[in-house]
Amino acid sequence: MFRRILIANRGEIALRVIRTCREMGIEPVAIYSDVDRRALHVRMAHSAVALGGSTPRESYLDMDKVIAAAKESGAEAIHPGYGFLSERSAFARKVTEAGLAWIGPPPEAIEAMGDKITSRRNMTKAGVPVVPGLVDPVDDVERALEEAEKIGYPIAIKAAAGGGGKGIRLVRSRAEMATAFRTASGEALASFGDGRLYMERYVDEPRHVEVQVLFDKHGNGVHYGERECSIQRRHQKLIEEAPSVVVDDALRRKMGEIAVRAGAAVGYQNAGTVEFLYSKGEVFFLEMNTRLQVEHPVTEMVYGVDLVREQIRIAAGEKLGYTQEDVLAKKNGWSIEVRINAEDPFNGFVPSIGTIHNLRAPGGPWVRLDAAIYRGMEVSLNYDPMLAKLIVWGPDRNAAIERMKRALAELNVGGVRTSAPVALLVLEEEKFVKGDFDTHFLAHMDLSTPRRGEDVLVAVASAIHRHLLMQRKALHTQAADRTAWSARSRAGQSVYPPHVPATAGGAQ
Amino acid sequence: MRYFVTVNGKAHEVEVVERLGKLFVRCDGKDMDVDYQEVDSLGQVALLAEGRSWGLSIEGDEHQVTAGIAGHLYAVEIEDERERAAHAAERESQKGGGTVKSVMPGVVVKLLVKEGDSVEKGQPLLILEAMKMQNEIAAPSNGTVKSLHVKEKEAVASGAKLVTLSAQ
Repeated sequence: MFRRILIANRGEIALRVIRTCREMGIEPVAIYSDVDRRALHVRMAHSAVALGGSTPRESYLDMDKVIAAAKESGAEAIHPGYGFLSERSAFARKVTEAGLAWIGPPPEAIEAMGDKITSRRNMTKAGVPVVPGLVDPVDDVERALEEAEKIGYPIAIKAAAGGGGKGIRLVRSRAEMATAFRTASGEALASFGDGRLYMERYVDEPRHVEVQVLFDKHGNGVHYGERECSIQRRHQKLIEEAPSVVVDDALRRKMGEIAVRAGAAVGYQNAGTVEFLYSKGEVFFLEMNTRLQVEHPVTEMVYGVDLVREQIRIAAGEKLGYTQEDVLAKKNGWSIEVRINAEDPFNGFVPSIGTIHNLRAPGGPWVRLDAAIYRGMEVSLNYDPMLAKLIVWGPDRNAAIERMKRALAELNVGGVRTSAPVALLVLEEEKFVKGDFDTHFLAHMDLSTPRRGEDVLVAVASAIHRHLLMQRKALHTQAADRTAWSARSRAGQSVYPPHVPATAGGAQ
Repeated sequence: MRYFVTVNGKAHEVEVVERLGKLFVRCDGKDMDVDYQEVDSLGQVALLAEGRSWGLSIEGDEHQVTAGIAGHLYAVEIEDERERAAHAAERESQKGGGTVKSVMPGVVVKLLVKEGDSVEKGQPLLILEAMKMQNEIAAPSNGTVKSLHVKEKEAVASGAKLVTLSAQ
């Protein structure tokens, strides 16, 4: 086992890895940019190496600096966390070339899953279902009708030359195809000078369901069931849960088997996530994330596993040491995660920056806060807006929802706006509670009118008291905290002209 | 003393009477028995009101306040009678106009209007990039673009003036 590991990341994920290192008796080494000198991951680490610079490019993304830091600190391995350099095959290669262990998949596996077209080709070869569609565009109605039969309706057709959702047309049946194709093709020719169209199955009511996989270096691979991440906005996830309401035991085994096959096809090692699009009972491969996911804790809570520990064990060459059946037997209860992002959800989710001056963290049974925030922390535009992840576990989904609502009610973050109030609104939605939602759910929520009004009077009463207190403080800087007793005693002394004792001093 | 308090856009009338150093609050005609104590100077408040207890957080200046109560946010605006009259006059004088300011620091990616253009409420005026996200800044009301305070590619601070609109 490693004696010392460098964590090539910052924020909550750096802290997450540091914690497991500590529990394994491994010395965690942090790296930091100039602005992160006081950050929590630096303070919690065994040692810390300065990278200099303030932007990610000058610090956490500078491969040579990071590897030099590892060498300098005497680390034997590098854990990349997520984001930053975690999915750069070039970095994985450099790390191993420098004689360090890479806690992640082999660079070839990262590349094979790297871009959508390559991975789609690899997966089709491995017999993994992808969203049916054509790789090359068509310009002929007869061929379109023929191909449509193979793809299956509903079908989305879009201009080969168009971009950004322009000219997408939904065709529900064969009867509509010929007309729709001609019109769309004509429009495309008119606006782009190119009448060719792409055809792809339109995925109705899509849900984002992903499967956690682990592969050791000895050819063993298992899956850890699914996570549902459909509550998202512009592909930014807000709420994740495990398991998913749409996945039963049979589907879990099926998706898990596909996910393990997908990983095995590219010679995967370490932890990874296979993302699927779920639609009305069907699942399609979307992509594979060749790293630890942000939302990995919900899997940890349900399966009682420390995924970071598994990653480190695998990188050190250990065998998994358990079977797929062992994993599934450990599945217990339900877990939900809410991402606390620095953004203003009631103002179009614009980023919110400032200094966190007020913080009350939730706690209590089965509540986990993975965060690297602290009072006095400056939230800047330099880094990812995710401040914290709040995770709860419950014996069933309803218990987990109630626990998350309770935990969110306990959380206060002052100084920046956060996504927490919107997560609470989602958890209160009847459709969410019933499990009836897809990836469009959050975008379609009306956030312009606040729905809750019960505590309005409390808000009014506190605001007015604070207002008066502030006014009083502005008038007499120290008098505002005065109690009735001190106020009286002060009043007693304020006699004019001031009373001076006849015999002042004792010199005479 | 009478106050006009708006919570999440809804108006409430509040009367405050101070007697023997204690505050008596009447909100929307209802007397409230309130014990307000600040826990720290950072925004944590311990409030006892109407037989119930609340641990809330509050921040903002004297007039614009955000209260966080049990996970929900309440945007509160406070005006006394004199301020209310002054604000009403101000709003009247710049009907349909005013200056659009940046709510966050960022870079102006694209200007979508030029001086002299007439714009409708909700029409995008410019695109501001912050945290790798592009945000459309929309006109708050109908009006004419009186002046542009920024250029494309220019970095702006939070609160910086972007566009001034005048009434049509």
